[in-house]
Amino acid sequence: MKTYEVFLKKAGKDEFRHAGALDAPDPDLALLLARECYSRRGEGDELWLVDRTDIVVAAVEDLAPNHDKPHRHNDGARVAARRRATREGTRS
Amino acid sequence: MTLQPAARPLVLALADDEHLVGARHTNWIGLGPFLEEDLAFCSIAQDELGHAIALYQLLLDTDDGAAVDGLALRRDDADYRSCWLAEWPADDWATALVRHWLYDLAEDLRWRNLVGSSQPELDALARRVLREEAFHLGHARQLLDRTMGSTAEATDRLTAALAELLPLVPGLWDPPADGDEADAVARGVVARSSAEVGHDHRLAVEAQLSDWGVRLPLSSSGPAQHGRTVRSPGFAVLHAALNEVIDLDPAARW
Repeated sequence: MKTYEVFLKKAGKDEFRHAGALDAPDPDLALLLARECYSRRGEGDELWLVDRTDIVVAAVEDLAPNHDKPHRHNDGARVAARRRATREGTRS
Repeated sequence: MTLQPAARPLVLALADDEHLVGARHTNWIGLGPFLEEDLAFCSIAQDELGHAIALYQLLLDTDDGAAVDGLALRRDDADYRSCWLAEWPADDWATALVRHWLYDLAEDLRWRNLVGSSQPELDALARRVLREEAFHLGHARQLLDRTMGSTAEATDRLTAALAELLPLVPGLWDPPADGDEADAVARGVVARSSAEVGHDHRLAVEAQLSDWGVRLPLSSSGPAQHGRTVRSPGFAVLHAALNEVIDLDPAARW
């Protein structure tokens, strides 16, 4: 058995979203079982299956290298204030 | 009455088959060989019960749940028109799988036989059902393709299940005793007779068994079901189980 990650997408602009995973012996049966396990109630209009072994997985320690640098976390407030000041002609 | 009299016996036979096979399939809830298959098989069971309900509603000309329950569950054994293949218990997964394949192969042909029916409700229902049937049949074939010949145990168990179930196939093509099938064909309710459709089924079973390398004789006769008027040995126990909760309080409203 292989494990497949299941992605569903609604019609329109929504992106594909991870819906879960399933076990199946091969792609054909995986598609058939995915239909039953994940799309019986119109949860999606498109479906992707990805063999879990094909996923490139990042090392946890390599992620979020800047989480302790607050200046990297711009909430936009200062830029918004600058734009407002320019619009109102009060920018110094 | 929506349905013309010529259609009623055939519709009741199909409805009872869908009901009984669906009920048998539901015995596998929680017991499927792996989670995904458990969900898929029970979903197929639900589809078959859905087909039965739609047909009972046509027969009754109402969608009232109590009326549908009454027709589906409260008849005497002799008044059912299901075939033995649909009624048969399948306590081994191999038997359940083989029955699923034999039955759905037939079911697909039977609904195709209703496409273009002179009874518009049957034509419409058949077109809707066939979208599900393509999946049911694909499911049965894919699982058997992968299990037949995979290991000696799988092949032995599936072959034993085929030997047990193949003799029940002719009874599936036994038209209901209280109908006049030739009249139904003449009126365009169905396109072809059970014998003709059953012949196609036989050819399809033969071709598939040959692909799987299974050498078993196909039966041309099995246990006499006398136009679907005789119930199989396990029917009474199943029927009692289906009525167990209603019998506690037949007047209860749900």
